[in-house]
Amino acid sequence: MSKRALHHLTAPLIDGNPITLQILGICSALAVTTSMATALTMSLALTVVLTTASALISLVRHHLPNAIRLVVQITIIASLVIVADQILRAYAFEMSQRLSVFVGLIVTNCIVLGRAETFAMRNPVWPSVLDGLGNGLGYSLVLMLVAAIREGLGAGALFGVQLLPLASSGGWFQPLGFMLLAPSAFFIIGLLIWAIRTRRPEQVEPDEFPLRERSGGDRP
Amino acid sequence: MSDAPRLWSGSEALVTLVAVSAPLVATILQQGPARLVFLALGLGLATFWHLVFARIRRRWTGWDGLVTAAIFAVLVPEALPLWQQGLALSFGLVMGDLVFGGRGRGFLSPAAVALAFALFSFPVSAGAAPGPASAIAALAGGAALLLARVLSWRVVAGFALAMAALQLLQPGWPALPGATLILGLVFLIGDPVAAACTNAGRWVYGALAGALVALLETAGGGALSSVVFAALLAGIFASLIDQGVIWDNVRRRARRQRHG
Repeated sequence: MSKRALHHLTAPLIDGNPITLQILGICSALAVTTSMATALTMSLALTVVLTTASALISLVRHHLPNAIRLVVQITIIASLVIVADQILRAYAFEMSQRLSVFVGLIVTNCIVLGRAETFAMRNPVWPSVLDGLGNGLGYSLVLMLVAAIREGLGAGALFGVQLLPLASSGGWFQPLGFMLLAPSAFFIIGLLIWAIRTRRPEQVEPDEFPLRERSGGDRP
Repeated sequence: MSDAPRLWSGSEALVTLVAVSAPLVATILQQGPARLVFLALGLGLATFWHLVFARIRRRWTGWDGLVTAAIFAVLVPEALPLWQQGLALSFGLVMGDLVFGGRGRGFLSPAAVALAFALFSFPVSAGAAPGPASAIAALAGGAALLLARVLSWRVVAGFALAMAALQLLQPGWPALPGATLILGLVFLIGDPVAAACTNAGRWVYGALAGALVALLETAGGGALSSVVFAALLAGIFASLIDQGVIWDNVRRRARRQRHG
């Protein structure tokens, strides 16, 4: 794989991460990260859909009239999501119940349509596949990280395996109930973004409302 | 501190610290030295986090964490183990206050954030409610804050009006305000940083908070959790309320100029 092609794959992992840089896909990142198993399933489903959708859309990109391109893109994405959802229901019914509507909601996930619009429509198939895969992996990376923190601190377990003995069953670990509620994911993702942007200052956006220097004109 | 926002500066912190010391002493007298241990830990934590953030930001942000720690120490349920209290307070100090750049730059009361974290994470029975001595001390603290104009009388009036109105509509709702309610009103809901800062907005904000407290309390929440979550919710709406008041003002002024 050439260096340029590899860049499509690795850039979205941290430098252009869909969640922490573009702040897309937050809804599912909040909803499915209470346990690592659901987060992993969701990550797999999204990565597969995103990669395939990018490939298909890139394949038909020269035949798409501009006026209806969004309709076609959504049709392709929705078909893929339905397939993914049906496969989950057929082979992992319990998991699909736990994920409830969120696999179906991949259709509205901004990452998928965003990559289709900004990348797959303008690039050949192979780079589009790599870009879709890279973005899917970037999304998965954040999801797994958040889920590890939330399940670890909220239930003392990883992938459902009890690692820390719970206080309720005679151990010492008092789970943080807060971690199992959606707000905690906001805080974790926020802290994550802060950490990344401290390491990579080029990701910091300009201040929307900069503090004014207090000079003579202000009230005493 | 010349660039500190006007809503909160050193003098407000000092006045609030004096005001909160009355209920603090009452609580310590009632519950014994256990609370004193936590107060010491809380003050230590506040200093620690302020030092950490002073290093990160390369600027000193003042001693406001001590006020937060004192308010938190007054209101936190005593059944909570020490480390859980410390964790909750750290969360409130950092996420409710310091990440925004210090007191006056955030939009919520850090003590309310810390209490909400504690209530969410470690559900405990509220334990012994603060007694009448705490209520009187809370009233004294509130009066001091009102006199110093840190606590807006409009917020208090709006709060009382909303609670009284709901009382009339639905008799049997919580009648006498307990110490927790007064403390929450004075130190959490009335926090000048969290509250609305236009005069008309303060009435609306106070009324919203009052209605929320009454609503949550009838829904079965304890006194503490009702007042904490009401403070958070009302605080989130405070900026919107202010914006509404400003829009209305702009609209009226434009009309006046057209007709005048």
